[in-house]
Amino acid sequence: MSLSDFFTIPFLVNALVGGVLIAILLSVLSLFVFVKKWSFINIGISHAAFGGLAIGFFLGVNPTITGSLFAILVGVLIGYISKKGQIHEDISIGILLSFSMALGVVVMSFSNNYNSDLFAFLFGNILTITQQDIIMILVFSAISLSFLLYNLERIMYCCFDEELAYISKVNTKFFYYSLITVIAIATVLSIKLVGSVLSSAMIILPAAVSSQLFWKYKSIILASIFISVVVVFTGIVVSFQYNLPSGSTIVIIYSLIFFIVILVKRLFIR
Amino acid sequence: MIKIENLWVELNGNLILEDISLEIKKGEIVAIVGPNGGGKTTLIRTILGFVKPAKGRVLIDGKEPKDYIKSGKVGYLPQKSSYERDFPVSALDVVMFGLVEVKISKKEKEKKALEVLRYVGMESFKDKPFGKLSGGQQQRVMIARAIISQPELLILDEPSTGVDVVAQESFYEFIKKLNQEKGITVLMITHDIGAVGSFVHKVVGLNKKLHYFGDFKDFLQKSNVDKLYGSEVKLLIHSPECFTCQYFNVEVKKH
Repeated sequence: MSLSDFFTIPFLVNALVGGVLIAILLSVLSLFVFVKKWSFINIGISHAAFGGLAIGFFLGVNPTITGSLFAILVGVLIGYISKKGQIHEDISIGILLSFSMALGVVVMSFSNNYNSDLFAFLFGNILTITQQDIIMILVFSAISLSFLLYNLERIMYCCFDEELAYISKVNTKFFYYSLITVIAIATVLSIKLVGSVLSSAMIILPAAVSSQLFWKYKSIILASIFISVVVVFTGIVVSFQYNLPSGSTIVIIYSLIFFIVILVKRLFIR
Repeated sequence: MIKIENLWVELNGNLILEDISLEIKKGEIVAIVGPNGGGKTTLIRTILGFVKPAKGRVLIDGKEPKDYIKSGKVGYLPQKSSYERDFPVSALDVVMFGLVEVKISKKEKEKKALEVLRYVGMESFKDKPFGKLSGGQQQRVMIARAIISQPELLILDEPSTGVDVVAQESFYEFIKKLNQEKGITVLMITHDIGAVGSFVHKVVGLNKKLHYFGDFKDFLQKSNVDKLYGSEVKLLIHSPECFTCQYFNVEVKKH
């Protein structure tokens, strides 16, 4: 099948457009995950969403709504516990992840049968992206990216040193919780479409790869977007061509690029 | 400028500061000295509003710390030997952070940032990664960031941490110049009592309680130092014959 044939298959076009949109959003967020050393946050929130999804399925309420609300609540709680308890976010994430997963399993045990929808939602499938999903991610991406890019210096200052940013009159609490909320919603939207494993890879690897090549944060954002879009596009095309699972193919390409970049840098640059 | 009235501070149930009262006037350079764990950083953090007092209060220009900070007139240099080496910002980015909430164009911000970088002798490092600078260079960039918004009050927590002797001497000269030229009130924690003695106006001797508040000359009386540090401590004060002082052309007034 030639590349032009891909654009005649509606579900592949949806996968490419949706995948690229998610790639752009998560690669911008990956800068903040990288500088705050929050590589665990996406995994924590995606597992936390499990509790919300289970409650949604159990109560017969739209699981996307309960999952999103639960993820936002857990995201804010991660921030609150870390701030008040003066502990690193990774520890709060670990605690809330276990609690939410346990809650999800207990709620599921009240259901009469195994709920395959719940697992499909958690692990996602990029080839099942609908036009409605694309509109949702497009609207959310437009709002959150405008917010993040307009306040880029403020958020970077908070990431650099929150107390200094506060002294310089930056509303540090607002930006801290806004960042966690945007990551929480982006995580829920992306796990529905690409699954929790790919979602984690897409929020950790872009900045991890581009920070090996560039050291200025604006260059890291641009390089992350470029690398992410190319990898997602290539991953979908290759996986469809060779009948491979698309999410896993994308993660493998990402990881290979990361190791190649590190190796090349070690061998030729230093 | 800063009025501290009967201040008591507790952290995690431990009493850190006990009944502190003092007043710092506008344009003064005040050194806070005392043994480790004596509450120096806690005092500064209470003045900045990061720590809530158990009793008593702090007023800056008649305002609560949080309200005074909103006026943007404070410059703060925290106690930190080095920042994350891979944090993706240049020295210029760090200095420009200090103007992030100031409503002027990006071009004007950059112009001001270059001016203060020149003032601290770091203009040629503007495009270098901040994390890769030496401790002393980072400290100069951080002070440029602290003064870019033209603060009236500059608070420094152990500014010479991680700075070599040469950089320390010129750093203190720089603080003196800043105070004389711009009239900035400076409050700094230091262990280099001897090095700062020539230019500070007042000394705060702190070890949970306020052991001393007054001139540097009187502070040197044996009883004051003994009370603060214990009788085993000997102070090393630079003399006019001191090779280091002569070499770096440091003015020594009190010995």
